[in-house]
Amino acid sequence: MFTMLPVNLRLATRSLSRNPMRTLLTMLGIIIGVAAVLTMVALGTGARGTVEDEVASAGTNIVFVKSGNYTRGGDSVGIAAGRGAATTLIEADANAILDNIAGIRAVSPGLSLRTFISSNGENVFTRVLGIAVEFSDIYSWNMTSGRMLAPGAANEAVIGSTLAQTMFGGNAVGQEVELRGNTYTIVGITDSAIDDQPEILFVPWQTLQQSMDISHLDSITIAAEKAGETSRISGEVSVLLRARHGIESRDDVNFLAAQSGGGVEPDDFTVETQAAQALTKGLYTPAAAFALANLPKLDEVTLDEMANTLDRASNTMTALLASIAGVSLIVGGIGIMNIMLVSITERTREIGLRMATGARSADVAMQFLIEAVTLSVIGGCIGLILGLLSAKVIGWSLGWPASVSLTAMAMAIGIAATIGLIFGSYPARRASLLDPIDALRTE
Amino acid sequence: MSVITLENIKKTYYLGDNTVNALRDVTLNVEEGEFVAITGPSGSGKSTLMHILGCLDRPTSGKYMLNGNDVSGLPMEALAEIRNRQIGFVFQGFNLLPRTTATENVEVPLLYSRPVLTSAERKDMALSALSSMGLADRVDHHPSQLSGGQQQRVAIARALVNNPAIILADEPTGNLDTKTSIEVMKLLQELRKEKGITIILITHEPEIAAYGTRIISMRDGLVVSDEANTPREDFDETRTAYKAEPVVAAAAVE
Repeated sequence: MFTMLPVNLRLATRSLSRNPMRTLLTMLGIIIGVAAVLTMVALGTGARGTVEDEVASAGTNIVFVKSGNYTRGGDSVGIAAGRGAATTLIEADANAILDNIAGIRAVSPGLSLRTFISSNGENVFTRVLGIAVEFSDIYSWNMTSGRMLAPGAANEAVIGSTLAQTMFGGNAVGQEVELRGNTYTIVGITDSAIDDQPEILFVPWQTLQQSMDISHLDSITIAAEKAGETSRISGEVSVLLRARHGIESRDDVNFLAAQSGGGVEPDDFTVETQAAQALTKGLYTPAAAFALANLPKLDEVTLDEMANTLDRASNTMTALLASIAGVSLIVGGIGIMNIMLVSITERTREIGLRMATGARSADVAMQFLIEAVTLSVIGGCIGLILGLLSAKVIGWSLGWPASVSLTAMAMAIGIAATIGLIFGSYPARRASLLDPIDALRTE
Repeated sequence: MSVITLENIKKTYYLGDNTVNALRDVTLNVEEGEFVAITGPSGSGKSTLMHILGCLDRPTSGKYMLNGNDVSGLPMEALAEIRNRQIGFVFQGFNLLPRTTATENVEVPLLYSRPVLTSAERKDMALSALSSMGLADRVDHHPSQLSGGQQQRVAIARALVNNPAIILADEPTGNLDTKTSIEVMKLLQELRKEKGITIILITHEPEIAAYGTRIISMRDGLVVSDEANTPREDFDETRTAYKAEPVVAAAAVE
């Protein structure tokens, strides 16, 4: 059967090239279908990637753990205040978070300080943040010049863009800065515009901790692998830290009652998602603070809804393209079946002759099946090229990256071949069941 | 040696409520190297006989021995192989594939040969069959570029290419003029003489049947006469304008 393949392929290409216009029109459905499949895959992947990038770069995948517990509102709304400042958050907590909680991409311990720094005899009052090298990954930093802190380097610093401008007129890389008795060499300028990062000097947290002569941390910054998981992660972080800090675990639902009843020990840390933080900006009214402090599900709803909305939009687009692709593939398949039936009617005498000279039913069926598959695969290849082009054009005009994997291309051709097989089998069977005597008599 | 032995062959068609006895009882023996012309009017059963002899159809009852093997009860798939190896068909309408070269037309039976032939083997066999038909300079021509006689010679080359035991020619001159018809008959006679191929010719024209070594007449599904014949060997069409003769005869009657 397969030894006949080269012969059948040649017969198929010849038969198809005899009616080039008809062949092209027949392939149109498959061409459009495959092109739609490919565009869908290309833009779907690209769009999803873009959406996730944007969500990530917006920082909605970041969770903060802060030392201490300052409950806003306090006396004015009658809520028991938290514990205030605490020195219980340590590096081991950061490591425990990274080790024990799933879905975390990076963790950076943090120490924050407002102080004078001096360079070239000039003193500037600014904010200093002790960070780990992972910090640049958490915030997706780009360095406008120089590089990020090297792992293990104790006396390097990275400077925010505004601070670099005011202190050094922009040429900050290579400059030395003195801070609490340590001298740091500036190795890079970050382009970050998030929060007040342009005005911060970033130094290794270990060096800062030593120079401040303390052993605790002010904060831990956590980046989730996926946007929309921050609510789960912040919940798990709370449970983990309570256990580590020996605070009695409790049900969040009863938090308010327990707190006002006073029987339960408050936390010595605060876990906040960046989304919640963004929401509280400009909302420092007691009522808003009350709502935020006591509705831990708020940011969860917001985030989940955001993720869901994005998912829904992308799913709708995919479903739309998939139905276009599905319909045109089916229509294309029916077109192939139709043309194959026409072709068999036209070539009944040929089939009769082939049978008279020794072709078995299977030989005839195989000849027409291969012709149908050849038709659909050539259509698939044309569709592949058109799909790649249209994905590029649409991607370019919408500013989406369009990426098509080799697997997707192979899949598109595979779909085309399958359509040919499915819709070619009925005509092929019809041809193989012809009676040679009747077939030879046909005019 | 008998190439074909038919014993009490019957073929009955059922068309709705009607029963058509196409072959009532045919018993026949054909020796190797015979040139048998089967004649008879339309509906005499000669085409049905041809289909059974050619293994395109199976008899309702009776026994058909081809080269000593009983083929009357074989399934269609097995008959396809027998057609491929032992039978060469020549048709009235040539049945050449259009827009396909003479060589590729002759190769068609070879595509279905078992064991499978390589394309080089197929081409060699096709070219030598075409040369033996005097068409060595026409191998790349399409049927539309060939005359009727040349087309029928391509068809005969196709029938011969697998070295069959018998050639079944169904009205091979029906689409040809007198001169070309004579050429084709001469060619068939040469094949019989030189290669010893058994030829079964179906025709309704007595003038064409006269080229055979044996003439069988059929009527109503029965053999009504079966006679040895001294084959006609004059190939000068000016003296044998047989197609004009009936007209002359009819005129004479009036």
